Amino acid sequence: MLLTIALAATAISAQQPKRGGVFRIAEREAPGLDPHLSISFLTHSYVSLAYSQLVRFPNGPEQKSPTDFSILPDVAEKWTVSKDGTVYTFHLRKGVRFHTKPPVNGRELVADDVKYSLERFMAKSGFRERLEPVQAIDVLDRSTVRVTLKEPYAPFLNHLANPSFCAILPREAETKFRDFNNADAVIGTGPFVLKSYEKGVRVVFERNPSYFVKGVPYLDGVVLEITPDAVARLALLRSGKVEQAHIWGWLSPEEGKSLQKTNPEMVVTPTLVIGQGFIYMRTDQPPFNDVRVRRAVALAIDRKGWNDALLYGEGCLDAGPVPCALKDWKLDALKLEPAKAKYLVGHDPAEAKRLLAEAGYPNGLTIPMYHWPGYIPPWRSYYELAAENLGKVGITVELRPEEYGKYISTTALGKYDKAAMGPSTPFTDVDDFLYGRFYPELSTNQSHVADAELSKMLVAQRREMDPKKRKQIVDDIQRYLADKAYYVYVPQWPQYIAHPPSVKGFKHHDGYGLGMRLLYTWLDRT
Amino acid sequence: MTRYVLRRVALAIPTLFLVSVIVFAMMRFMPGDVVTRMVEGHAYAPTLAALRHDLGLDRPVHVQYLDWIGGIVLRGDFGNSYWTRQPILEEFVRRFPVTLELAGLTILISVVMGIAIGIVSAVRQDTASDYVGRVLAILALSVPYFGLAVLVVVLPSIYFKWTPVWTYVAFTADPLANLKIMIVPALVFGVTRAGPIMRIMRSALLDVLRQEYIRTAWSKGLSERTIVLRHALKNALIPVVSLVGLQTPLYLGGSVIIEAIFRLPGVGLFFFEALTRLDYPVVQSVNLIIAGMVVGLNLLIDLSYAYLDPRIRY
Repeated sequence: MLLTIALAATAISAQQPKRGGVFRIAEREAPGLDPHLSISFLTHSYVSLAYSQLVRFPNGPEQKSPTDFSILPDVAEKWTVSKDGTVYTFHLRKGVRFHTKPPVNGRELVADDVKYSLERFMAKSGFRERLEPVQAIDVLDRSTVRVTLKEPYAPFLNHLANPSFCAILPREAETKFRDFNNADAVIGTGPFVLKSYEKGVRVVFERNPSYFVKGVPYLDGVVLEITPDAVARLALLRSGKVEQAHIWGWLSPEEGKSLQKTNPEMVVTPTLVIGQGFIYMRTDQPPFNDVRVRRAVALAIDRKGWNDALLYGEGCLDAGPVPCALKDWKLDALKLEPAKAKYLVGHDPAEAKRLLAEAGYPNGLTIPMYHWPGYIPPWRSYYELAAENLGKVGITVELRPEEYGKYISTTALGKYDKAAMGPSTPFTDVDDFLYGRFYPELSTNQSHVADAELSKMLVAQRREMDPKKRKQIVDDIQRYLADKAYYVYVPQWPQYIAHPPSVKGFKHHDGYGLGMRLLYTWLDRT
Repeated sequence: MTRYVLRRVALAIPTLFLVSVIVFAMMRFMPGDVVTRMVEGHAYAPTLAALRHDLGLDRPVHVQYLDWIGGIVLRGDFGNSYWTRQPILEEFVRRFPVTLELAGLTILISVVMGIAIGIVSAVRQDTASDYVGRVLAILALSVPYFGLAVLVVVLPSIYFKWTPVWTYVAFTADPLANLKIMIVPALVFGVTRAGPIMRIMRSALLDVLRQEYIRTAWSKGLSERTIVLRHALKNALIPVVSLVGLQTPLYLGGSVIIEAIFRLPGVGLFFFEALTRLDYPVVQSVNLIIAGMVVGLNLLIDLSYAYLDPRIRY
């Protein structure tokens, strides 16, 4: 199958973009710059300005929505996939050059760089399981790479396009600098060149004049003003010292509403982004091995009241198992049988009490709920509201806050007693929300689900290469999961994307990169 | 005196050794480990084992300790951060001047304010100026500096679209720009630290002013200015010096909150971020360096007593 998608780098119709200007962002310091030695979104966002990938997600005028994860060419101009979906042959653009920094000095990107980078990712990254099905990477000639998989793997291109995973790096830089954490080692083929990095102060990027897409970026540069404190970041935005107070321009609903009051000139756009929060339970042990108890938990959650009380009524109630924002894969609860959909979006305390009594808990039960209280603001209220909602049907919740290290190394990996609660990483492929959460023995399967019928479908969707057929399986999985209540999902809030009116052409995209988001962004300061 | 100094330096060695062992052990007792922090639940068991091997965390604990302390003692090598893989000493040396400058300005502001108001309060005891001084001291003591810092940053940004937060510039690069950046955080920090100094200054000076030799000075017909500033102040300063000495180690470690709010790339944030990321070598080495400085500083303070009070001999 030949997949060639033309690059739609068309100018924004309403206004002609202007060249020039420096885009300033206030953000925390990334824990490192090496995209394979850190899993932090900050690291990947920083260096996405400088690196390219084989393929990428659409951005700016190319994207249909913030969660448009269709695959566009990046340094690979085209690629073919074998009929059985196991052999990918990538044909690289010719004349793509690395930034002119020693020791690479602007040499051309070749197939060896792709092989080196993918193999380094598979050897070093904390995300390396994403490419676990890769069996071999072969360089066929200077501009052709063949990747052979053990089995068909539908999320493969999505993972290659995700800036968190597969940046194309030059080997010489690692040889000289030992890894890619040194600012001088950040040498890519991306739209911006890292010029200087004063630790704890600022990172300065300049426009790459030799970027392989002609005419972009419009900006002369990007400066990341390192600002650890959220209050200071917002103050900098309010006082016009930065264009964004978060690497992706995000503000919480409270911050966004406050900014709208104090700075009515700001462009503030509430945007539903990929995100998910849930109660997870030991479904392999009593009492949660009984589906009636899990359903009682699901029916106890007053999602509408929750949304009104904590999220200004702006949250999304139908938040799982596929997140609201992942629209291409989401099977809306309205399309499910109402008898099943109620366990995802319903609220029926009387039925919850009846189910508990039927399961042998006529007087209710007491459960612990492990959690990390340090997540961003609504979360602390989330735990309390969950405890209150469950208390009303007779499930007494003992909130058990944990220190972050303890939480992330035990509870978040499924090592806890009875019940816990927390947010999910916003993944870009639906596989992570399904296979990752429900397939037996995975540490991300926090509810310890082991359901043979479900497992078959989970494997089938990741092996199905036809997107339409895959969508049907994903729909079947959502229908199947609706009344199982393996996880109980809570409402998800929108992020407020904020910037001054001088910022034009900026569109939010949920794909972790910053370089591509700023490719079509320009400043109108006249 | 020389023997005293040598003895104190010799005593510093077991102190620093104990600090190194305690910090090393405490880091290992923290829940989870650096690798689980790095991957935050994304990686499966084989990946975690490989990462631990990369960082040398699969070696016996005593080997890890000896490797770290041996590097410092034998080669002056404080190791590399597990996260950034960059040399710790280099980063510390780059950041320490920021912390030192903030500490210096803070101490200067707090000492000048504290001593000045303290003297006025003591000399004009139970007058309006004493009451005002005491109220100011209590206010400075009771307003948390982080609250004041937030107000100073946020309020002008809302009402004047301006905020006293800038991009840090080193003093050596541009002294004026540097002072513009440092003065607000130093004032916030210094004003809130002036309270205790003022109170100690006032009570110490009141004590001294009641001594026999001061009465003698009055009877000799000396002016108030000479009595207070030349005869009384120096003796009253000893508890103030002790207090400043006790406060100084806190400044040397940097103030996480002040540095975070005012975007100052100091030691405090470096240490705090390392702690939250369980970056063992950074926490251990920074702790040891600061412990070394505190030991040295205490020695200097002890020696300064001999200058302030000639009766003290070593």
